Amino acid sequence: MTTVNLHLQQVKEQTAESMEEMWVNMGPQHPSTHGVLRLLIKLDGEVVRECIPYMGYMHRCHEKIGENRAYVQIIPYTDRLDYLASMYNNWAYCLACERLMGIQIPERAEYLRVLIGELQRIASHLIWLGTFGLDLGNFTLFMWCFREREMILDLFEAVSGQRLNYSFMRIGGLALDVPEGWLGDVKAFLQWFKPRLPEYDRLSTDNIIWQKRIQGVGILTPEDAVSYACSGPVLRGSGIRWDLRKNDPYGIYDRFEFDIPVGTSGDVWDRFWVRRQEMDQSVRIVEQALTEIPPGPVLAPVAKKLRAPVGDIYSRVESPRGELGDYIVADGSEKPYRYKVRAPTFVNLSALPVMLPGYLVADAVAVLGSVDIVLCEVDR
Amino acid sequence: MTAEEILQQIRARFGSEIRTSEVRRGEATLTIKADQNFEICRFIKEELGLEYLNCLSGVDWVGENEMEVAYAISSLRQPGKIILRARVPRDEPVLRSVVPLWGTANWHEREAFDLLGIRFENHPDLRRILLPEDWIGHPLRKDYQDERFVPYPWDDRKPGTVVRPTTA
Repeated sequence: MTTVNLHLQQVKEQTAESMEEMWVNMGPQHPSTHGVLRLLIKLDGEVVRECIPYMGYMHRCHEKIGENRAYVQIIPYTDRLDYLASMYNNWAYCLACERLMGIQIPERAEYLRVLIGELQRIASHLIWLGTFGLDLGNFTLFMWCFREREMILDLFEAVSGQRLNYSFMRIGGLALDVPEGWLGDVKAFLQWFKPRLPEYDRLSTDNIIWQKRIQGVGILTPEDAVSYACSGPVLRGSGIRWDLRKNDPYGIYDRFEFDIPVGTSGDVWDRFWVRRQEMDQSVRIVEQALTEIPPGPVLAPVAKKLRAPVGDIYSRVESPRGELGDYIVADGSEKPYRYKVRAPTFVNLSALPVMLPGYLVADAVAVLGSVDIVLCEVDR
Repeated sequence: MTAEEILQQIRARFGSEIRTSEVRRGEATLTIKADQNFEICRFIKEELGLEYLNCLSGVDWVGENEMEVAYAISSLRQPGKIILRARVPRDEPVLRSVVPLWGTANWHEREAFDLLGIRFENHPDLRRILLPEDWIGHPLRKDYQDERFVPYPWDDRKPGTVVRPTTA
């Protein structure tokens, strides 16, 4: 038995007899909640017995706003859902509308969407890795990850003029073509970025402190992961090979070669390791997209005032955080009758009360970090 | 399992409960009477093997004086997908909770309760989730009124087809 486990065992035995249980607030203002989230935690000594999340501090009724805007006007609001992966939110929403209205988008736009989407995935995983390192006290990793993320933000600024809330995709394609020489910049970025990945490994994967800190903590069984409809790296960390890019391909993902990394035990380490490997796979996809991208238009000829036929659709994409779904009910007018966002972090967070109990309160930060929440998306 | 097969099996078992059913874009869609929603969900999960509840959303059909709960269900093992819609009267919007089948339904149902006022029987913890506990009303209802809420100024829908939110 390792020292840590022995210590845990002692704490468990000691607290079971001698100490009273106590409710403690973590948040709403706490650095590790990455926003405004309140966790009410029942402590038995150092061990978490129960966890009740309270959210909604940033609720703005995104869905009500959506019901009162024309289809095109909703796009800027989707940026504000998961602000670390705005491009993916745009994509999810535009794809849902395109499926609903039966719009085919040009080939070049498909490739650019994949290319931009995967760069966004790298940026999102980088910020996750950095802040997760910060949660665990690994400050250097935070600085290194933000250095490379900054380069991706520069690339996105070049195409959209924005650094965070891009609003770059449109129903029917993209707002603009990429500027001249931009694809070369992406190539240069990849050249710089690929040797950086082993450097992150030196600070995280190969780091014995890092390993001891997150292995065997916050275990989510595959049964719970499915019952709580977890998705993305949280689901794959529990050993379920499920990725919408492969299993229910959208866009042109069926043309690319990449692997789906999965974990084995469903602990924090597996969720970290899945995200870390996904960056490798995203690099592979970007490289393939760069070689195959055709010239041509980037926006299909669509009407200025878009109307969707009567009906409903549930459309989903694999965002960096999991299954990002849009349920749109159309009544034939210019606005959606009902517009619901199935936010991946909202659903993944609902599994937190299953992951936390039984572990030390010091591990709560690591477990919460491993879910990769974005509170703007949780609260909507 | 294809969408047609899914629909056939549900029709064979719950024929009288079904209002409408069709296959759209390769997906089965189904509207049912609400009182059997739990049994049909259990049938879909346990006997058809669609074990993954993607999404649960409430819809306010104010023109028809009904509330709807739409379940988007799929599977991680097979390609089948279904959208199941259960309708309840608007003045008494009560359904049976599906939390015993899917843990994820807990928060989705709380959200539908919070924003649309749909109540779920046997839910373990039916509280508001996104709005403050002392909030009055359910904002996603189409007749919700709030003086701070200003709808978009233009609206070219034909009068009478859809009632849109009004300001106070």
